[in-house]
Amino acid sequence: MTQTNDNAPMGRIIVITSGKGGVGKTTSAAAISAGLAKQGYKTVVIDFDVGLRNLDMIMGCERRVVFDFINVIQGDAKLKQALIKDKRLENLAVLPTSQTRDKDALTREGVEAVLNELKQDYDYIVCDSPAGIERGAHLAMYFADEAVVVTNPEVSSVRDSDRVLGLLSSKTKRAETEGAEPIKAQVLLTRHDQGRIDKGEMMTVEDVLEILAVPLLGIIPESQAVLRASNTGTPVTLDDPSAAGRAYEDAVARLTGEDVEMRVASDRRPGLLQRMFGRTA
Amino acid sequence: MQQRATERRGGRSLVAPRSFQVRGRFLTAIALRLENETPDEAFFDALDSHVQLTPKFFYEAPLVVDFEKVPGLVDEAALRDLIGELRKRKLMVFAAQNANAAQREVALAMGLVAIGGGREAPLPSEKSDRGRRVDAPGKAPKTENLVITEPVRSGQMIVAERGDLTVIGSVASGAELVAAGSIHVYGTLRGRAMAGVHGDETARIFCQKLDAELVAIAGLYRTNENIEDAHRNARVQVFLDKERLRMETLG
Repeated sequence: MTQTNDNAPMGRIIVITSGKGGVGKTTSAAAISAGLAKQGYKTVVIDFDVGLRNLDMIMGCERRVVFDFINVIQGDAKLKQALIKDKRLENLAVLPTSQTRDKDALTREGVEAVLNELKQDYDYIVCDSPAGIERGAHLAMYFADEAVVVTNPEVSSVRDSDRVLGLLSSKTKRAETEGAEPIKAQVLLTRHDQGRIDKGEMMTVEDVLEILAVPLLGIIPESQAVLRASNTGTPVTLDDPSAAGRAYEDAVARLTGEDVEMRVASDRRPGLLQRMFGRTA
Repeated sequence: MQQRATERRGGRSLVAPRSFQVRGRFLTAIALRLENETPDEAFFDALDSHVQLTPKFFYEAPLVVDFEKVPGLVDEAALRDLIGELRKRKLMVFAAQNANAAQREVALAMGLVAIGGGREAPLPSEKSDRGRRVDAPGKAPKTENLVITEPVRSGQMIVAERGDLTVIGSVASGAELVAAGSIHVYGTLRGRAMAGVHGDETARIFCQKLDAELVAIAGLYRTNENIEDAHRNARVQVFLDKERLRMETLG
């Protein structure tokens, strides 16, 4: 059903991170990895949030988890045993994490070995980082080639994203390797709500970008479709068409190097938006 | 606004003459980390030869004795002897860190204060000092300016230990700039900026857009809520004028 993409990178590692919790990292990781797979790239998405296993639910494969990332790191299972193939897209796989262990079970060597093995088979390796800046988040970003910093248009989220951008440029393998190109970091603005911005309750896109000073990957509107997709275990890019789904698809296209004009779905007239939501939600 | 800041500093009423100021102070100290539980002749010989390498660096230098590696060094006579010997060498021993209860008792009796672990640097300053002072004894300390060409992110701390600090880019809220000299920010200053931390009252802070959490010069500070509206988000220089922190919009 999906064609393999010819200009595929060789195992490019993308970390989805934010610092702050609840901004939409896992939702974005699911949507972006599904979007990449839809475009024909062999994609695997890894849950780094040890102890708070969520990605498998958002991806709709929680009933199929037998072995996990930690089992692989500790040598209790083979990587192929732990990878769960997506039922909708054959070139998409999920590496779930453990719900019973804690983040100390992650080791840098173990993570590196798993990533190196995945690089042999996959075009994109998407790492879903836990919130915070501790071990799990650090290891999720450490080997990354590229970073998507998920940010909500509000001050605390922006400040945490800024902190994470600082860590990306100092505490990662690329940062520590002399002469290596730095991690390419981009901001993904989620839960964008033009109505609340107009009322002054949220920061504008310009304000956020002025503070973070990195390129914008996309603007995802606040949408019922996102919540619904999460609850049904469907990445929003695989669900029925929605403003959020389209925004994620645009972001994915930009990630793969396409030049897509920045659209703000909620910039449209409220009437149209309402009708659109009425249809999809 | 200004008055409020002044009151907070000195606690003075508006009419009575000011009798004191409370000022922040950064102090650079040498930490002597003991690794030998029985400081003997050989220990002091080694110390002497080390001090001889850079006598000026150690002369009257504030010194903290670190007991982390020597929990067994609790003999009162030995401790008194050690501190006495250090003082004989014009080392200004004033504090003990990582001391256990027994060590702390002797330290307090000898007029030392017990301090918690501070931030420690692994002696880069001593090294550069050594090179410089040996080469050119008696010359004024060389300034080392620091230029940062990237935005300073929240949680980062940039220190220009002996010179000016220039940032080409913005300084985020939650970031910290520290300089012995002046601080220049070609961008928005939203974090904290402390200039003249070793007491240089001629140090200034310049920024293209001021929304700092805190600005300080030689320990005199002002927080964001005390920035006047006229200066907020403006191009501003901050400087000391007769022991007062002043802000001025740049044209």
